[in-house]
Amino acid sequence: MVNVVTTGVSVRPAGWIAAGRLRLAAFLVIAAFMIAGPVAEQAFGLRTPLLRSWTMFSGIGLGVIDASFAIRQPDGSLVPLDRFAMLGASHDGKLKRIEDRDELASIIMRLCEAAGQGADIRVSARQGTRDGWRIVHTDTANACAE
Amino acid sequence: MLAPSEPAVGSAGWRLLRKRALRFADWAVNSEGSSRSSALIRIGIAMLFWSRWAGELLLYMHQSAIGLVLSANFFIATALLFIGYCSRAAAVWAGAVGLAMFYYFGHELGREPWTHHHTYLLAVAALLLALTPCGRSYSVDRYLAVTRAGRAGLPAPAEYGNLWGLRLIVVQLTVLYFFSAFDKTSYAFLSGARLEHIFLWYYAGSDYPALPGFHWLAMITAFAVVALEYGLAFGLPFRRTRRYLLLPGLAFHAVVYVTLPVYTFSATMALLYLAYVDADAVDKVIARLQGGGPIEPAGQGMS
Repeated sequence: MVNVVTTGVSVRPAGWIAAGRLRLAAFLVIAAFMIAGPVAEQAFGLRTPLLRSWTMFSGIGLGVIDASFAIRQPDGSLVPLDRFAMLGASHDGKLKRIEDRDELASIIMRLCEAAGQGADIRVSARQGTRDGWRIVHTDTANACAE
Repeated sequence: MLAPSEPAVGSAGWRLLRKRALRFADWAVNSEGSSRSSALIRIGIAMLFWSRWAGELLLYMHQSAIGLVLSANFFIATALLFIGYCSRAAAVWAGAVGLAMFYYFGHELGREPWTHHHTYLLAVAALLLALTPCGRSYSVDRYLAVTRAGRAGLPAPAEYGNLWGLRLIVVQLTVLYFFSAFDKTSYAFLSGARLEHIFLWYYAGSDYPALPGFHWLAMITAFAVVALEYGLAFGLPFRRTRRYLLLPGLAFHAVVYVTLPVYTFSATMALLYLAYVDADAVDKVIARLQGGGPIEPAGQGMS
Protein backbone atom coordinates (compact mmCIF):
# COMPACT_ATOMS: atom_id res chain seq x y z
CA MET A 1 0.00 0.00 0.00
CA VAL A 2 1.22 3.44 -0.83
CA ASN A 3 1.60 6.05 1.83
CA VAL A 4 0.76 9.54 0.83
CA VAL A 5 1.73 12.52 2.91
CA THR A 6 0.16 15.79 1.97
CA THR A 7 -0.12 19.12 3.63
CA GLY A 8 -3.54 20.10 2.40
CA VAL A 9 -2.32 23.68 2.19
CA SER A 10 -4.55 25.65 -0.13
CA VAL A 11 -2.43 28.77 -0.38
CA ARG A 12 0.13 28.31 -3.15
CA PRO A 13 3.60 29.73 -2.66
CA ALA A 14 4.95 32.42 -4.98
CA GLY A 15 7.44 30.03 -6.62
CA TRP A 16 4.63 27.64 -7.39
CA ILE A 17 2.68 30.40 -9.13
CA ALA A 18 5.71 31.37 -11.22
CA ALA A 19 6.20 27.72 -12.18
CA GLY A 20 2.51 27.50 -13.05
CA ARG A 21 2.77 30.52 -15.33
CA LEU A 22 5.83 29.11 -17.03
CA ARG A 23 4.04 25.83 -17.51
CA LEU A 24 1.01 27.61 -18.95
CA ALA A 25 3.24 29.53 -21.38
CA ALA A 26 4.90 26.26 -22.45
CA PHE A 27 1.49 24.61 -22.78
CA LEU A 28 0.24 27.37 -25.08
CA VAL A 29 3.40 27.30 -27.21
CA ILE A 30 3.23 23.51 -27.65
CA ALA A 31 -0.51 23.62 -28.38
CA ALA A 32 0.05 26.40 -30.92
CA PHE A 33 2.70 24.26 -32.66
CA MET A 34 0.26 21.34 -32.77
CA ILE A 35 -2.37 23.52 -34.42
CA ALA A 36 0.06 25.29 -36.75
CA GLY A 37 0.86 22.16 -38.77
CA PRO A 38 -2.60 21.33 -40.08
CA VAL A 39 -3.57 25.01 -40.39
CA ALA A 40 -0.48 25.69 -42.51
CA GLU A 41 -1.34 22.95 -44.98
CA GLN A 42 -5.10 22.77 -44.89
CA ALA A 43 -5.80 26.50 -44.73
CA PHE A 44 -2.76 27.99 -46.48
CA GLY A 45 -1.60 25.10 -48.68
CA LEU A 46 1.90 25.13 -47.21
CA ARG A 47 3.34 21.61 -47.42
CA THR A 48 6.41 20.95 -45.32
CA PRO A 49 7.65 17.82 -43.59
CA LEU A 50 8.41 19.96 -40.55
CA LEU A 51 4.72 20.24 -39.75
CA ARG A 52 2.07 17.51 -39.55
CA SER A 53 -1.08 18.15 -41.52
CA TRP A 54 -3.09 15.14 -40.25
CA THR A 55 -4.57 14.54 -43.68
CA MET A 56 -5.34 10.86 -43.19
CA PHE A 57 -5.75 8.58 -46.22
CA SER A 58 -5.54 11.61 -48.47
CA GLY A 59 -3.14 9.91 -50.87
CA ILE A 60 -4.16 6.26 -50.65
CA GLY A 61 -6.00 4.93 -53.68
CA LEU A 62 -5.27 7.91 -55.91
CA GLY A 63 -4.69 6.91 -59.50
CA VAL A 64 -6.50 3.59 -59.24
CA ILE A 65 -8.50 2.70 -62.34
CA ASP A 66 -12.01 1.28 -62.22
CA ALA A 67 -12.38 -0.44 -65.58
CA SER A 68 -14.82 -2.71 -67.36
CA PHE A 69 -14.23 -4.40 -70.69
CA ALA A 70 -16.62 -5.75 -73.31
CA ILE A 71 -16.04 -7.51 -76.62
CA ARG A 72 -18.30 -7.56 -79.64
CA GLN A 73 -19.51 -10.99 -80.69
CA PRO A 74 -19.97 -12.11 -84.33
CA ASP A 75 -23.73 -11.54 -83.89
CA GLY A 76 -23.04 -7.88 -83.03
CA SER A 77 -23.81 -8.09 -79.32
CA LEU A 78 -21.39 -6.81 -76.67
CA VAL A 79 -20.54 -9.23 -73.85
CA PRO A 80 -18.38 -8.61 -70.78
CA LEU A 81 -14.74 -9.48 -71.31
CA ASP A 82 -12.80 -11.21 -68.53
CA ARG A 83 -9.31 -9.73 -68.90
CA PHE A 84 -7.80 -12.40 -66.67
CA ALA A 85 -9.17 -15.26 -68.78
CA MET A 86 -8.30 -13.54 -72.06
CA LEU A 87 -4.68 -12.93 -71.01
CA GLY A 88 -4.29 -16.15 -69.02
CA ALA A 89 -3.48 -14.20 -65.84
CA SER A 90 -4.21 -14.90 -62.19
CA HIS A 91 -6.98 -12.94 -60.47
CA ASP A 92 -4.54 -12.04 -57.71
CA GLY A 93 -1.69 -11.09 -60.00
CA LYS A 94 -0.52 -7.83 -61.52
CA LEU A 95 -3.65 -7.44 -63.64
CA LYS A 96 -5.89 -7.15 -60.62
CA ARG A 97 -5.17 -3.51 -59.82
CA ILE A 98 -4.60 -1.09 -62.68
CA GLU A 99 -2.73 1.78 -61.10
CA ASP A 100 -2.54 4.38 -63.85
CA ARG A 101 -3.53 5.23 -67.43
CA ASP A 102 -0.35 3.82 -68.96
CA GLU A 103 -1.07 0.47 -67.38
CA LEU A 104 -4.63 0.63 -68.72
CA ALA A 105 -3.37 1.40 -72.22
CA SER A 106 -0.96 -1.53 -72.02
CA ILE A 107 -3.73 -3.93 -70.98
CA ILE A 108 -6.01 -2.70 -73.77
CA MET A 109 -3.21 -3.32 -76.27
CA ARG A 110 -2.61 -6.84 -74.96
CA LEU A 111 -6.33 -7.62 -75.04
CA CYS A 112 -6.60 -6.42 -78.64
CA GLU A 113 -3.62 -8.56 -79.62
CA ALA A 114 -5.08 -11.60 -77.87
CA ALA A 115 -8.50 -11.05 -79.48
CA GLY A 116 -6.96 -10.93 -82.95
CA GLN A 117 -7.20 -8.69 -85.98
CA GLY A 118 -10.47 -6.81 -86.35
CA ALA A 119 -11.53 -7.28 -82.72
CA ASP A 120 -13.93 -4.73 -81.28
CA ILE A 121 -13.23 -4.17 -77.59
CA ARG A 122 -15.03 -1.48 -75.65
CA VAL A 123 -13.54 -0.08 -72.45
CA SER A 124 -15.20 2.03 -69.78
CA ALA A 125 -12.73 3.36 -67.26
CA ARG A 126 -12.50 6.04 -64.61
CA GLN A 127 -9.59 7.06 -62.44
CA GLY A 128 -9.48 7.97 -58.77
CA THR A 129 -8.36 11.57 -58.21
CA ARG A 130 -8.36 13.97 -55.26
CA ASP A 131 -11.59 15.43 -56.66
CA GLY A 132 -13.39 12.10 -57.02
CA TRP A 133 -13.71 9.93 -60.14
CA ARG A 134 -12.52 11.16 -63.53
CA ILE A 135 -13.61 9.35 -66.69
CA VAL A 136 -10.52 8.36 -68.68
CA HIS A 137 -12.02 6.02 -71.28
CA THR A 138 -15.50 5.62 -72.72
CA ASP A 139 -17.00 2.67 -74.59
CA THR A 140 -18.29 4.77 -77.48
CA ALA A 141 -15.55 3.58 -79.82
CA ASN A 142 -13.54 0.43 -80.49
CA ALA A 143 -10.48 0.66 -78.22
CA CYS A 144 -8.52 -1.56 -80.64
CA ALA A 145 -9.01 0.96 -83.43
CA GLU A 146 -7.61 3.90 -81.42
CA MET B 1 -23.97 57.66 -26.07
CA LEU B 2 -23.57 54.56 -23.98
CA ALA B 3 -26.53 53.33 -22.04
CA PRO B 4 -25.90 53.13 -18.29
CA SER B 5 -26.17 49.38 -18.29
CA GLU B 6 -23.58 48.78 -21.05
CA PRO B 7 -20.37 49.02 -19.01
CA ALA B 8 -21.84 46.54 -16.55
CA VAL B 9 -22.67 44.12 -19.38
CA GLY B 10 -19.18 44.58 -20.79
CA SER B 11 -17.49 43.88 -17.51
CA ALA B 12 -19.75 40.86 -16.92
CA GLY B 13 -18.67 39.51 -20.30
CA TRP B 14 -15.07 40.18 -19.45
CA ARG B 15 -15.48 38.46 -16.09
CA LEU B 16 -17.04 35.43 -17.78
CA LEU B 17 -14.23 35.29 -20.33
CA ARG B 18 -11.64 35.60 -17.57
CA LYS B 19 -13.37 32.90 -15.53
CA ARG B 20 -13.35 30.55 -18.49
CA ALA B 21 -9.72 31.32 -19.28
CA LEU B 22 -8.76 30.63 -15.68
CA ARG B 23 -10.75 27.41 -15.74
CA PHE B 24 -8.97 26.35 -18.92
CA ALA B 25 -5.58 27.25 -17.43
CA ASP B 26 -6.43 25.29 -14.32
CA TRP B 27 -7.41 22.26 -16.42
CA ALA B 28 -4.35 22.63 -18.62
CA VAL B 29 -1.53 23.05 -16.16
CA ASN B 30 -2.81 22.83 -12.59
CA SER B 31 -4.49 19.41 -12.60
CA GLU B 32 -2.87 16.84 -10.39
CA GLY B 33 -3.73 13.21 -10.09
CA SER B 34 -2.59 9.63 -10.04
CA SER B 35 0.54 8.83 -12.03
CA ARG B 36 -0.62 5.34 -12.88
CA SER B 37 -2.35 6.15 -16.16
CA SER B 38 0.78 8.03 -17.30
CA ALA B 39 2.84 4.98 -16.35
CA LEU B 40 0.57 2.67 -18.33
CA ILE B 41 0.93 4.93 -21.36
CA ARG B 42 4.72 4.89 -20.84
CA ILE B 43 4.86 1.10 -20.89
CA GLY B 44 2.46 0.91 -23.84
CA ILE B 45 4.42 3.45 -25.90
CA ALA B 46 7.65 1.49 -25.36
CA MET B 47 5.92 -1.69 -26.50
CA LEU B 48 4.49 0.04 -29.56
CA PHE B 49 7.95 1.32 -30.48
CA TRP B 50 9.20 -2.27 -30.33
CA SER B 51 6.27 -3.78 -32.19
CA ARG B 52 6.77 -1.31 -35.02
CA TRP B 53 10.55 -1.09 -35.36
CA ALA B 54 12.43 -3.63 -33.25
CA GLY B 55 12.58 -6.08 -36.15
CA GLU B 56 13.73 -3.42 -38.59
CA LEU B 57 16.39 -2.07 -36.26
CA LEU B 58 18.16 -5.25 -35.23
CA LEU B 59 21.88 -4.56 -35.32
CA TYR B 60 22.58 -6.70 -38.38
CA MET B 61 19.88 -4.94 -40.43
CA HIS B 62 21.75 -1.66 -41.00
CA GLN B 63 25.46 -2.16 -40.59
CA SER B 64 26.46 1.42 -41.33
CA ALA B 65 27.72 3.65 -38.52
CA ILE B 66 24.58 5.74 -38.55
CA GLY B 67 22.37 2.66 -38.66
CA LEU B 68 24.12 1.19 -35.65
CA VAL B 69 23.87 4.48 -33.77
CA LEU B 70 20.15 4.59 -34.49
CA SER B 71 19.62 0.97 -33.43
CA ALA B 72 21.60 1.42 -30.21
CA ASN B 73 19.74 4.59 -29.29
CA PHE B 74 16.41 3.00 -30.16
CA PHE B 75 16.87 -0.08 -28.01
CA ILE B 76 18.46 1.68 -25.02
CA ALA B 77 15.94 4.53 -24.93
CA THR B 78 12.89 2.29 -25.33
CA ALA B 79 14.20 -0.26 -22.81
CA LEU B 80 14.66 2.51 -20.24
CA LEU B 81 11.20 3.80 -21.07
CA PHE B 82 9.71 0.34 -20.63
CA ILE B 83 11.30 -0.43 -17.28
CA GLY B 84 10.91 3.16 -16.11
CA TYR B 85 14.47 4.08 -15.22
CA CYS B 86 15.04 7.82 -15.48
CA SER B 87 11.60 7.61 -17.05
CA ARG B 88 11.08 11.19 -18.15
CA ALA B 89 14.56 11.47 -19.64
CA ALA B 90 13.98 8.12 -21.36
CA ALA B 91 10.73 9.50 -22.78
CA VAL B 92 12.59 12.51 -24.22
CA TRP B 93 15.26 10.17 -25.60
CA ALA B 94 12.75 7.78 -27.18
CA GLY B 95 10.80 10.72 -28.61
CA ALA B 96 13.99 12.21 -30.05
CA VAL B 97 14.82 8.84 -31.64
CA GLY B 98 11.31 8.76 -33.12
CA LEU B 99 11.68 12.28 -34.53
CA ALA B 100 15.12 11.41 -35.96
CA MET B 101 13.54 8.42 -37.69
CA PHE B 102 10.72 10.59 -39.00
CA TYR B 103 12.66 13.65 -40.15
CA TYR B 104 16.15 12.40 -40.95
CA PHE B 105 15.80 8.74 -41.91
CA GLY B 106 12.29 9.18 -43.30
CA HIS B 107 12.24 12.54 -45.05
CA GLU B 108 15.96 13.16 -45.62
CA LEU B 109 17.16 9.63 -46.42
CA GLY B 110 13.92 8.56 -48.08
CA ARG B 111 12.81 5.67 -45.89
CA GLU B 112 9.22 6.37 -46.88
CA PRO B 113 7.25 4.24 -44.35
CA TRP B 114 8.99 6.13 -41.56
CA THR B 115 7.42 9.37 -42.78
CA HIS B 116 3.91 8.16 -42.00
CA HIS B 117 1.60 9.53 -39.33
CA HIS B 118 2.16 6.62 -36.97
CA THR B 119 5.88 7.43 -36.65
CA TYR B 120 5.25 11.05 -35.80
CA LEU B 121 2.43 10.20 -33.40
CA LEU B 122 4.59 7.73 -31.46
CA ALA B 123 7.48 10.20 -31.25
CA VAL B 124 5.25 13.04 -30.10
CA ALA B 125 3.45 10.82 -27.59
CA ALA B 126 6.82 9.87 -26.07
CA LEU B 127 7.86 13.52 -25.86
CA LEU B 128 4.60 14.58 -24.23
CA LEU B 129 4.93 11.68 -21.83
CA ALA B 130 8.05 13.37 -20.50
CA LEU B 131 5.75 16.09 -19.15
CA THR B 132 3.78 13.58 -17.05
CA PRO B 133 4.71 11.82 -13.80
CA CYS B 134 5.15 8.64 -15.83
CA GLY B 135 8.01 7.35 -13.69
CA ARG B 136 6.20 7.55 -10.38
CA SER B 137 4.34 4.27 -10.88
CA TYR B 138 5.20 0.81 -12.21
CA SER B 139 8.83 1.70 -12.70
CA VAL B 140 12.37 1.20 -11.48
CA ASP B 141 12.23 4.88 -10.53
CA ARG B 142 9.34 4.04 -8.22
CA TYR B 143 11.19 1.06 -6.74
CA LEU B 144 14.24 3.19 -6.03
CA ALA B 145 12.15 6.01 -4.54
CA VAL B 146 10.31 3.62 -2.23
CA THR B 147 13.60 1.97 -1.19
CA ARG B 148 15.21 5.34 -0.49
CA ALA B 149 12.22 6.49 1.54
CA GLY B 150 12.21 3.23 3.48
CA ARG B 151 15.87 3.62 4.38
CA ALA B 152 15.25 7.16 5.56
CA GLY B 153 12.27 6.04 7.61
CA LEU B 154 9.89 8.10 5.51
CA PRO B 155 6.63 7.02 3.94
CA ALA B 156 6.76 6.01 0.28
CA PRO B 157 6.41 8.96 -2.07
CA ALA B 158 3.04 9.56 -3.62
CA GLU B 159 2.15 8.08 -6.99
CA TYR B 160 0.91 11.48 -7.90
CA GLY B 161 1.83 14.45 -10.01
CA ASN B 162 0.93 17.26 -12.38
CA LEU B 163 -0.92 15.98 -15.43
CA TRP B 164 -0.27 18.76 -17.92
CA GLY B 165 1.47 16.29 -20.25
CA LEU B 166 -1.75 14.27 -20.42
CA ARG B 167 -3.67 17.47 -21.17
CA LEU B 168 -1.31 18.18 -24.06
CA ILE B 169 -1.95 14.67 -25.37
CA VAL B 170 -5.67 15.50 -25.26
CA VAL B 171 -5.00 18.69 -27.26
CA GLN B 172 -2.92 16.70 -29.76
CA LEU B 173 -5.65 14.12 -30.28
CA THR B 174 -8.30 16.83 -30.60
CA VAL B 175 -6.25 18.65 -33.24
CA LEU B 176 -5.63 15.36 -35.04
CA TYR B 177 -9.32 14.36 -35.12
CA PHE B 178 -10.54 17.81 -36.07
CA PHE B 179 -8.16 18.34 -38.97
CA SER B 180 -8.55 14.78 -40.16
CA ALA B 181 -12.32 15.42 -40.36
CA PHE B 182 -11.85 18.91 -41.82
CA ASP B 183 -9.68 17.49 -44.62
CA LYS B 184 -12.40 14.96 -45.42
CA THR B 185 -15.15 17.58 -45.50
CA SER B 186 -15.12 17.71 -49.27
CA TYR B 187 -17.27 16.50 -52.12
CA ALA B 188 -14.68 13.89 -53.09
CA PHE B 189 -14.79 12.21 -49.70
CA LEU B 190 -18.44 12.72 -48.77
CA SER B 191 -19.61 11.43 -52.16
CA GLY B 192 -18.03 8.13 -51.20
CA ALA B 193 -15.53 8.33 -54.08
CA ARG B 194 -12.41 8.48 -51.92
CA LEU B 195 -13.54 5.45 -49.90
CA GLU B 196 -14.25 3.63 -53.18
CA HIS B 197 -10.70 4.44 -54.36
CA ILE B 198 -9.28 3.02 -51.13
CA PHE B 199 -11.48 -0.08 -51.33
CA LEU B 200 -10.48 -0.75 -54.93
CA TRP B 201 -6.81 -0.15 -54.14
CA TYR B 202 -6.62 -2.62 -51.29
CA TYR B 203 -9.41 -5.09 -51.92
CA ALA B 204 -11.30 -5.15 -55.20
CA GLY B 205 -8.62 -4.15 -57.65
CA SER B 206 -9.87 -2.47 -60.80
CA ASP B 207 -13.21 -4.29 -60.83
CA TYR B 208 -15.88 -2.20 -59.11
CA PRO B 209 -17.73 -4.41 -56.59
CA ALA B 210 -20.88 -5.98 -57.99
CA LEU B 211 -22.59 -5.54 -54.60
CA PRO B 212 -25.86 -3.64 -55.14
CA GLY B 213 -25.86 -0.29 -53.34
CA PHE B 214 -22.11 -0.30 -52.86
CA HIS B 215 -21.86 3.36 -53.83
CA TRP B 216 -24.51 4.31 -51.25
CA LEU B 217 -22.71 2.25 -48.63
CA ALA B 218 -19.49 4.14 -49.40
CA MET B 219 -21.28 7.46 -49.17
CA ILE B 220 -23.01 6.65 -45.87
CA THR B 221 -19.73 5.36 -44.43
CA ALA B 222 -17.98 8.56 -45.54
CA PHE B 223 -20.55 10.73 -43.75
CA ALA B 224 -20.36 8.52 -40.66
CA VAL B 225 -16.55 8.70 -40.54
CA VAL B 226 -16.51 12.50 -40.82
CA ALA B 227 -19.28 12.93 -38.26
CA LEU B 228 -17.54 10.57 -35.86
CA GLU B 229 -14.19 12.34 -36.23
CA TYR B 230 -15.76 15.74 -35.52
CA GLY B 231 -17.58 14.14 -32.60
CA LEU B 232 -14.37 12.64 -31.24
CA ALA B 233 -12.57 15.98 -31.63
CA PHE B 234 -15.11 17.98 -29.65
CA GLY B 235 -16.73 15.28 -27.52
CA LEU B 236 -13.93 13.20 -26.06
CA PRO B 237 -12.37 15.99 -23.97
CA PHE B 238 -15.63 16.46 -22.05
CA ARG B 239 -16.83 13.99 -19.45
CA ARG B 240 -20.51 14.35 -20.37
CA THR B 241 -20.02 13.36 -24.02
CA ARG B 242 -16.99 11.13 -23.53
CA ARG B 243 -19.03 8.24 -22.19
CA TYR B 244 -20.90 7.99 -25.50
CA LEU B 245 -17.79 8.35 -27.67
CA LEU B 246 -15.13 6.15 -26.08
CA LEU B 247 -16.48 2.88 -27.46
CA PRO B 248 -17.32 4.22 -30.96
CA GLY B 249 -13.84 5.78 -31.09
CA LEU B 250 -12.11 2.57 -30.07
CA ALA B 251 -14.29 0.54 -32.47
CA PHE B 252 -13.44 2.97 -35.28
CA HIS B 253 -9.72 2.53 -34.68
CA ALA B 254 -10.12 -1.24 -34.40
CA VAL B 255 -11.88 -1.40 -37.76
CA VAL B 256 -9.23 0.79 -39.39
CA TYR B 257 -6.49 -1.32 -37.78
CA VAL B 258 -7.74 -4.59 -39.26
CA THR B 259 -8.74 -3.23 -42.66
CA LEU B 260 -5.96 -0.83 -43.66
CA PRO B 261 -2.18 -0.76 -43.26
CA VAL B 262 -1.95 1.87 -40.54
CA TYR B 263 0.86 0.11 -38.64
CA THR B 264 0.76 1.19 -34.99
CA PHE B 265 -1.40 4.28 -35.51
CA SER B 266 -4.68 2.80 -34.26
CA ALA B 267 -3.06 1.05 -31.33
CA THR B 268 -1.30 4.28 -30.32
CA MET B 269 -4.56 6.22 -30.51
CA ALA B 270 -6.34 3.61 -28.39
CA LEU B 271 -3.55 3.72 -25.81
CA LEU B 272 -3.61 7.53 -25.71
CA TYR B 273 -7.33 7.44 -24.90
CA LEU B 274 -6.09 6.91 -21.33
CA ALA B 275 -5.20 10.61 -21.37
CA TYR B 276 -8.88 11.51 -21.75
CA VAL B 277 -9.99 9.52 -18.75
CA ASP B 278 -9.68 11.04 -15.29
CA ALA B 279 -6.36 9.75 -13.90
CA ASP B 280 -7.83 9.09 -10.48
CA ALA B 281 -10.70 7.11 -12.02
CA VAL B 282 -8.12 4.93 -13.82
CA ASP B 283 -6.37 4.56 -10.50
CA LYS B 284 -9.57 3.44 -8.78
CA VAL B 285 -10.18 0.79 -11.45
CA ILE B 286 -6.62 -0.50 -11.06
CA ALA B 287 -6.98 -0.54 -7.28
CA ARG B 288 -10.26 -2.43 -7.58
CA LEU B 289 -8.69 -4.98 -9.93
CA GLN B 290 -5.73 -5.43 -7.58
CA GLY B 291 -7.88 -5.51 -4.46
CA GLY B 292 -6.16 -2.46 -2.93
CA GLY B 293 -7.14 1.10 -2.26
CA PRO B 294 -6.67 3.95 -4.68
CA ILE B 295 -3.93 6.55 -4.38
CA GLU B 296 -5.39 9.33 -2.34
CA PRO B 297 -5.31 12.80 -3.80
CA ALA B 298 -3.40 15.60 -2.14
CA GLY B 299 -5.06 16.98 0.93
CA GLN B 300 -6.76 13.78 2.01
CA GLY B 301 -4.17 12.37 4.35
CA MET B 302 -2.53 8.98 4.36
CA SER B 303 -3.51 5.53 3.22
